[in-house]
Amino acid sequence: MRNDRLLVALAVLVGLALIVIAVIYWVEPAKSLPGFFPGHQAGSAHHHAKHGIAAFLVGLACFAFAWFRTGPKRATPAA
Amino acid sequence: MILAALISYPRAIVLGLLQGVSELFPVSSLGHTVILPKLLGWNIHQNGDYFLSFLVATHLATAIVLFCFFWRDWVRILKGIGRSLRDREIGDADADAKLGWLLVVGTIPAGILGLLLQDTLRKAFASGSIAAGFLIANGVLLYGAELLRRRAPQTDADDDVRIARRVGFPAAFLVGAVQSLALIPGFSRSGAAMGGGLLVGLSNKDAARFAFLLATPIIGAAAVLKLPQLFGHAGDGVRGPALVASLCSAATAYLAVKFLMRYFETKTLTPFAVYCFCAGIACTIWFAV
Repeated sequence: MRNDRLLVALAVLVGLALIVIAVIYWVEPAKSLPGFFPGHQAGSAHHHAKHGIAAFLVGLACFAFAWFRTGPKRATPAA
Repeated sequence: MILAALISYPRAIVLGLLQGVSELFPVSSLGHTVILPKLLGWNIHQNGDYFLSFLVATHLATAIVLFCFFWRDWVRILKGIGRSLRDREIGDADADAKLGWLLVVGTIPAGILGLLLQDTLRKAFASGSIAAGFLIANGVLLYGAELLRRRAPQTDADDDVRIARRVGFPAAFLVGAVQSLALIPGFSRSGAAMGGGLLVGLSNKDAARFAFLLATPIIGAAAVLKLPQLFGHAGDGVRGPALVASLCSAATAYLAVKFLMRYFETKTLTPFAVYCFCAGIACTIWFAV
């Protein structure tokens, strides 16, 4: 049970982080991205919109995972 | 504009017809689109923005045809996803919901790898001889999938129930990841997905159905993302041929999916494997001499 909660919390945190990363990709040009972001390129005005979409979709997937994990538990039929 | 003029209407028709068939037949549409102009001596710059814009239209047409062909299934699947979100669980008996989430999970690896690597891989491998080499590998992959397939009892009468029972989420992820091979010209998206489906225990018919359902959002999203390119500067001079090509592509895609759904009821991937292997070898020799 404790592991389950930890997993859900982790999924929500990762989901949030990925959505924030997606917004950064959409808003900032490649030259302004943090150096450790894939696609960072000094002097480039290109927006990595696709990287943003990828991060956003994985973020949504994390939220979906958390949503199902926190759903009502089904009663297991007695043997 | 001078480059764009190289896609004449007759060439657009040939490329459109070819795209519709080869996108759904497990023989690599990208590979054929790279190889055929080279074989026919057409001076088309494969990495040119105008050519990529042209291809966007044909891909979009194929995706629309696939979506319309499986329209009723998509309605059921989307309703199933909605039901599962509302109930916060995927019911054991709800095959539509399970199939919907299998498609979502399968789309994740292919979608992410496509978004991140599509342009890089296309530019790296957009050569006739390299595509011919990968076409041989595609043949080996298809044949290998037929040899290694897990034969599972097909007890359920309904296609989607069978798929939902046989395929788990890790397997759907695996099939989606294998599908990403299609980013390399010469490997087939539908072939890779069908091969993956066979390996996780689906029949040829169910693997084809799952592959086509899995391909629809990927092909459609990739085309929609690049659509602004077609209507922008890069599309100048190719919009007319692109429209004609997409109509041709739609027609052949419809015939192809109709044929293949019936074909895979009784037959296997082996003829396509043999074709890819032989065509790949023939093209490799042709380009070498």
